[in-house]
Amino acid sequence: MTDVILSSPLFGIVLSCTAWCVGLWVQKKTHLVLFNPLIVAVAVVILCLVVLGIPYSDYDRGGSIITLMLGPVTAVLALNIYEQRKLLGKYFLPVLSGCLAGSLTSVACALLLCKTLAVEESIAASLLPKSVTTAIAVAISESSGGIQSITVAAVIVAGITGALFAPLFARMFRVTDPVAEGVAIGACSHALGTAKALEIGELQGAMSSISICVCGIITSVLVLFLP
Amino acid sequence: MSIMGELAIVFGVCLVCEGVVSLLPFTFPASVLSMLVLLGLLLSGLLKKEHISRVCAFFVGNMAFFFLPSCVGLLEHWGTLSAVLLPFFAVAVLTTPIVYAVTAWTVQLLMSRRRNKEERR
Repeated sequence: MTDVILSSPLFGIVLSCTAWCVGLWVQKKTHLVLFNPLIVAVAVVILCLVVLGIPYSDYDRGGSIITLMLGPVTAVLALNIYEQRKLLGKYFLPVLSGCLAGSLTSVACALLLCKTLAVEESIAASLLPKSVTTAIAVAISESSGGIQSITVAAVIVAGITGALFAPLFARMFRVTDPVAEGVAIGACSHALGTAKALEIGELQGAMSSISICVCGIITSVLVLFLP
Repeated sequence: MSIMGELAIVFGVCLVCEGVVSLLPFTFPASVLSMLVLLGLLLSGLLKKEHISRVCAFFVGNMAFFFLPSCVGLLEHWGTLSAVLLPFFAVAVLTTPIVYAVTAWTVQLLMSRRRNKEERR
């Protein structure tokens, strides 16, 4: 019976859904950025697989079905941009320029550090899109020969850094304009940062969610021009 | 529009974009193209917000869940990642404040110029 259960794609799906619920519960109880539902759920799944000695391939039969949804998950971000179109129109030039500058800086810094530290190509390709939202980062990483899981990990680390230190960054860099603050949070720490931006203010949150989509599109185009 | 109809629209756009991307002479993420196409359809009025709103709310509301299997995939790539932990954290952590500063200063500069122009009027 165990073989039948483990060989079914439903095993990976059930384990993922259960681990996700545990992650949500822990987040609700602790309210800590570090106990993000995704981080907790990943820990739960890995712990289950390692402790019970279940091969990753058994999990991935169902996991790959969930991963298949990443395309539609990215596509529906279009509705977010559409709903914020009035705000985007109002601050179009500052937002576009800020996102362009931020995306260029992010890709350039990552590229420079990878070259300096002699990181191999597939790892560099995985780290280049670390500032954009996971859905777009994974697509960029895949299309440029990166490793999906390393990209997701880098995106989460960048997101947590931004979410934890966003108020400190604003004081440190003397950022007083709410539009600038929101766009910057979205550009450096995507959705995880947006949650923090919403706590800071409504305008900051809205600008951050616009910035996520704009930076994602700009970064997708930027990586086309990389050697 | 039924849920199945909404799914057919979103999945259909993604499917067509996967086909289009395979014809391009350069590599471009199909999902990003799907997002741009979907945005174009919404802005042109060919697609109404109500046609995809429930599916969008579900996907956006549970977005992080869909990355769970990719993250668990670290198990398979742990050897590769552990060998590059220093560059990994250097890129993911150190570049974050730099990106923040450059973005914020650019927007702040343009916003203050805009305010100055408005005041002069």
